[in-house]
Amino acid sequence: MDLSYSPDDEALRAEVRDWLESNLQGAFGALRGTGGSGREHEAVELRREWERALGAGRWIGLGLPRESGGRGATLIQQVIFAEEYARADAPGRVNHMGEHLLAPTLVAFASEELQHRFLPGILRGEELWCQGYSEPGAGSDLAAVRTRARLAGGRWLIDGQKVWTSLAAHADWCFLVARTDPKSERHRGLSYLLVPMRQEAIEIRPIVQMTGTSEFSEVFFDGAWTAEDCIVGHPGDGWRVAMGTLGFERGVATLGQQIGFERELAHVIELARQTGAIEDPEIASRTIDAWAELRVMRYQAMRTLGSADAGPASVSKLLWANWHRRLGELAMDVRGPSAAILPGGPYELDREQALFLYSRADTIYAGSNEIQRNIIAERVLGLPRG
Amino acid sequence: MQFGLDDDQLELKHTVRAFLERHSTPAIVRRAAEHEDGFAASAWERLVGEMELTSLGIDSEHGGAGASFVEVGVALEELGRTLLPVPFLPTVVAAGAISDSPDGGVSGPLLERIAAGEIATVALSGPPPLATRVGDGITVRGSIDHVLDGDRAGVLVLWALLDGEPATLALELGTNGVEVSPVLTLDQTRRQATVMLADCPATALSSGPAGRGAYERARNVLAVAYAVEAVGTAARCLDLTVTYLRERVQFGRPIGSFQALKHRCADLYVSLEAARSAAYYAAWAVDGAPQELPVLGPLAQLVGIDALLQIAAEAIQLHGGIGFTWEHEAHLFFKRAKSTELLCGGRRELRRLVGEHAGIV
Repeated sequence: MDLSYSPDDEALRAEVRDWLESNLQGAFGALRGTGGSGREHEAVELRREWERALGAGRWIGLGLPRESGGRGATLIQQVIFAEEYARADAPGRVNHMGEHLLAPTLVAFASEELQHRFLPGILRGEELWCQGYSEPGAGSDLAAVRTRARLAGGRWLIDGQKVWTSLAAHADWCFLVARTDPKSERHRGLSYLLVPMRQEAIEIRPIVQMTGTSEFSEVFFDGAWTAEDCIVGHPGDGWRVAMGTLGFERGVATLGQQIGFERELAHVIELARQTGAIEDPEIASRTIDAWAELRVMRYQAMRTLGSADAGPASVSKLLWANWHRRLGELAMDVRGPSAAILPGGPYELDREQALFLYSRADTIYAGSNEIQRNIIAERVLGLPRG
Repeated sequence: MQFGLDDDQLELKHTVRAFLERHSTPAIVRRAAEHEDGFAASAWERLVGEMELTSLGIDSEHGGAGASFVEVGVALEELGRTLLPVPFLPTVVAAGAISDSPDGGVSGPLLERIAAGEIATVALSGPPPLATRVGDGITVRGSIDHVLDGDRAGVLVLWALLDGEPATLALELGTNGVEVSPVLTLDQTRRQATVMLADCPATALSSGPAGRGAYERARNVLAVAYAVEAVGTAARCLDLTVTYLRERVQFGRPIGSFQALKHRCADLYVSLEAARSAAYYAAWAVDGAPQELPVLGPLAQLVGIDALLQIAAEAIQLHGGIGFTWEHEAHLFFKRAKSTELLCGGRRELRRLVGEHAGIV
């Protein structure tokens, strides 16, 4: 066990810090703390510009191989970037989907031509992507996808509906899973298509969340089109490619995310001191547990970093989602009755209220708690399918 | 940066596990636990003699292997899996506290004896006995409860108040002025004794201004040892339970296919993984980041014991009626879990320590 950083790693850390310090100022300075989960609606245009600045600094796609336009950075180096980025309170990324999900998928599964066509737009921060997996009838059960695509006149024509698409209104492109074999069922006969978002036949309807704000949309495809070659893998390969997309994360983002969690927890602890709530033994006990669990999540993320197995990803998701949801509950209890009053109209939320409400989504999106438990029980513990 | 066991450590783990599969079978554990001695003597002889496990962390100058606490932790975790009633944990924690002494004249001979197979134990919690300077020496007076394997150990490392300050001392248990009385324990796989000291001669491992720090380090290393051991115990207990759920058929299907049971096992696995990460990090920190130990000791112990208590309790419930019998081993895990928690001062105290060192309360 060796938990020290190499001189190269330390040099990269210094480089990231310097770059963020000298670039996250002026107009971009206002972006600190904006965007990210629960705040995706904030300052989107300026964050688009910021994404292009990151691209110009070659900070996008760090882990991609050099021949694909990345820096070939190690996992530790990617973690260093994620940590420093979070430490600087730099804005939530508008092209998380493009950089972290699609780009590695293209490198792993797409033709040379397709990689040449799409990787530069992502790496320069110019083309934004959204993800089209979930549907009204295909949430946890992705294989129940009903959106159809058929070839006609050298184009794919797409009909159907996607849902829970974040940043759909700002995306230039969508990577989606559609049924291309009309006679197929379940995970067979699906294809992974790349579809331009700015066209008449696509309608985007924002979903108003329980927070009163909108980060997600419904996306309707009514004869929308894309070119015949805008497909990753072969027709019918969609399930394999989509599952591959889900395996690229390998714990890097988790370690960066924890820096933000530390900031939120420090705020709750400070609040508990100011209000005197920390004197309540029950509040004190929950606060200490939150602190301890966040520490443990860090050791867990360090220990499993780089694993592509199902176990660590599901364990990490259950740990952080439950933790964050409990932090929201703790924040409200620390505040007491004042947290029941809105700071403004028509439905403005303060920091604790926002945390309390937004964190209800954490245990649902990106694989609900129930799905994560199924994965652990079946794939890690080897318990039989029901 | 590499977090996880390296190849040599993995090999040690496999060697110890293979050894225990032969010499620490459930039948051997059961026989020793139910015997009035509560000691697996022949397995212990091999463990100390052939495997040289108790000298792992002792430096080579004094007859040990000079390994770090990570290696010691590997052995603790594997022994924790089988519940073998042997005094490994107190012996290695005592050896660690002796190694930390700045006085080589005192520590050297003691380490050589432990490396040669002598059993040692610790008394680092509970009210401290009083130590007095008498001429050039020190004598200790008081009664100490819950001394692990006290009736079998030759050397006791204890904390005491010397000149009003905490100090760590070592004394010979076979000497005049010491009375060791074994007690009957709820957990038959880990025996305890009460030790009465009537002006018993002792030597200082660490006293004066460095005394408190040395005592706290010893106590935190003990906490980490309990934490890694608990991870091993919890892991095997969950293995046994999951295996049972795969095999036990009711309503025409393995009961492990029912989602109500699957989800409970998944939650137990999450607790176990978290506990494992905390314990491994803390085991590394014993030598790698000692300044972090004041918070890591109670933290690793808290999450380790939490996981073990949950898993051991659920093991009985998920085994159904058979899990309530004396014949089945589930109760051994359950009793080990609760006794370990109580020996550690309880979860409330551990949480308080974490909060204090984190600067929250």
